[in-house]
Amino acid sequence: MGNMPFVVSMILVMVGFLTLITRRNLIKLAIGISIIEMGVNLFLVSLGYVKGGIAPIYTYAPPGAKEMVFPTPQALTLTAIVIGLATTALMLAFAVVIYRHRGTLDAEKIRELRG
Amino acid sequence: MRIGSGEGFWGPIVWVILALGILAMGFAVWLQGRRTYKRGTEQEEPFLSGEKLSKGGGAVAGIHLYWGFAEALRPLLSRLVAFHSGFVGDYVGWLLVVLVVSLLVVMLS
Amino acid sequence: MLIHAPILAIAVPLLGAFSLLGLAYLSRTLRNIWACLISAFTSAMAVAVAIRAFTEGVVVYTLGAASPTESVTAGGFPIRIVLVVDGLGAFMGLIAALAGVVALVYYFQYLKEEEGKSLGLSLLLLLWAGILGLVYTGDLFNFFVFLEITSIAACALIGYRTWESRPPEAAFKTMAMYTLGGLLVLISVGILYGEYDALNIAYLSKAITGSLLDKLALGLLLGGLLMKAGAVPAHMWAPDAYGEAPATATIVLVANTQAAIYAILRVVFTLFGGALAAPGIGWLIASLGITTVLVAVLMAVVQRHLGRLVAYGAVSQLGYMLLAVGVGAVARGGFGEVALTGGIFHMINDAASVGLLFFVVGAVRRATGSVDLLSLGGLGHTLRWEAGFFLLGALALAGIPPLNGFASKFLIYESTFRASPILAALALLASILLLAVVVRAFQGAFLGPKVREASPAPRGMLVAMGILALVIVVFGLFPGFFIERIVSPAVQAVLTGREAYLAAVLGG
Repeated sequence: MGNMPFVVSMILVMVGFLTLITRRNLIKLAIGISIIEMGVNLFLVSLGYVKGGIAPIYTYAPPGAKEMVFPTPQALTLTAIVIGLATTALMLAFAVVIYRHRGTLDAEKIRELRG
Repeated sequence: MRIGSGEGFWGPIVWVILALGILAMGFAVWLQGRRTYKRGTEQEEPFLSGEKLSKGGGAVAGIHLYWGFAEALRPLLSRLVAFHSGFVGDYVGWLLVVLVVSLLVVMLS
Repeated sequence: MLIHAPILAIAVPLLGAFSLLGLAYLSRTLRNIWACLISAFTSAMAVAVAIRAFTEGVVVYTLGAASPTESVTAGGFPIRIVLVVDGLGAFMGLIAALAGVVALVYYFQYLKEEEGKSLGLSLLLLLWAGILGLVYTGDLFNFFVFLEITSIAACALIGYRTWESRPPEAAFKTMAMYTLGGLLVLISVGILYGEYDALNIAYLSKAITGSLLDKLALGLLLGGLLMKAGAVPAHMWAPDAYGEAPATATIVLVANTQAAIYAILRVVFTLFGGALAAPGIGWLIASLGITTVLVAVLMAVVQRHLGRLVAYGAVSQLGYMLLAVGVGAVARGGFGEVALTGGIFHMINDAASVGLLFFVVGAVRRATGSVDLLSLGGLGHTLRWEAGFFLLGALALAGIPPLNGFASKFLIYESTFRASPILAALALLASILLLAVVVRAFQGAFLGPKVREASPAPRGMLVAMGILALVIVVFGLFPGFFIERIVSPAVQAVLTGREAYLAAVLGG
């Protein structure tokens, strides 16, 4: 069972890619990318987990605590979440602008740039 | 200032000197031309295989240049244009193809 | 202060990007002066770092340490974030500096105030900071962060003109691709961290054993970076982005794409150069490169939109660089060295010629309001300088001697021929096709009878084009001088510099 988080995160990534390939709504595409991001973040944060470990805050550690989880992957995950927020916000903003111009969110119809 | 590739070399200065030499030869040939042609007669018109130039002569837009070439490649080009569909799902699909190919190559090599 | 040059080159444009928007509310003159100061300082820092890296060897700068050289603990384990600039990073920094300065010179008279001038200027500086960070960092996670900074800034720059319908569409598509590529890189960073508990590129490079997980990480990294470098078939965002971005931003976008090629070089030769140096990876990159060249050139044949036509030309040039990188990774020495010299030299040549062409396209769009080849024509009567610059850039792009494009392509052809004659023949064929394409674009836009009035570009824009034209001619006439001074250190850093890179960071 120790590898379960990795399996789940890879399933999330697959689900996200499947969304991107099969869905046509621009908002759903942004959601698909967000799902992949969640999968990757879960992967990162589960890398640093130690069984029975406590939160890596030295001053708040209870006296009998033996092990802490790795702090670095948590820092990485926080950064990745912030970056994910920025990209998702930007994509949604572009989706809104595209909707205003074309009156549709169907990616099959938003194909002015082709060939 | 030459750069070598192990087999050949490229010297731009030599090239420029040669090009100037060839231009000078062309100029020398041009100087041999007749100065006594009559203005305003057919002697001033360009010679195009004996064809008469049409007077109106519509402008040739850039899109018409190499028309025959593009026409000959039409089957290939139309397929390529269809390949660039502009649909985001296709973009992602091809990214996955590149990813799988690179994973396979790295795993197998 | 010069010892802090690497971090200043990243921090100052970041500061400038955000402070600029505040200043723009106060006074526009103040904003312009501030932008000039920021860019002058940043490029001076990039040049200072480059001079140090070329003369003294690898420059290491450690953040959060009393002394910049304390990058590892007593046990030899890296705990701090480092910036490492070797010959290759310094060379890429020079390209970024050139692109940024020229873009700024062009910028001031290109956009009107109501077209989001402050916003575009701020995003341009942000993108610049991202590129410099990407090429200077010695830490894998920071590499991902800078990759995302360039992605976000680039896509915002492509799509911020929301009053038109095409730019937001291009920006959405590019954003989707860039984000996915970045996430693939992040997964691979996670795998490497989980395996070796470190993010420092030098330490990882020493520790990597070539296990199955390492191969997985390399494959994911290559997939993401090849997309970002515009390799067919994951190149489709590139013509959209280049064709629709404001002309002034395109040269920086091209520098950004070249930073991805830098990243491929760094990953293949430095990070995995010890354990996973199989020629198969080189063949993969070379075959994707030649496909990119051919597909992009053929697509350029059918374009009617002048910007998109030049954009496909730019993608084909990226293919030449990938081809050279691939051949270099196949051989690693001998003719591979020639290939890498050609490929790395081609980066700066390509930035100059593609940048010049896009500047002219921007001037044409500004003067006539159209970039459709069917409706353009006869612009040479009024836009004399622009016509000359377009011809110069087009010939350099197609690799006509004695311009700079030929000098680098000559090295690529010769070395590719020794790896595989078929690849070399295809590359030559594509170059001939490209000449046909650009001649067609030149004829369509600038020759023929005058069909419409057009106002020539203001002097600031012409000066920016003139700088690039000068680069094209000087690099073309004296390639040996520049190869010896700036390209050769970069090639040596790629091929044999791995030991020096590791020693500079880890000590001993």
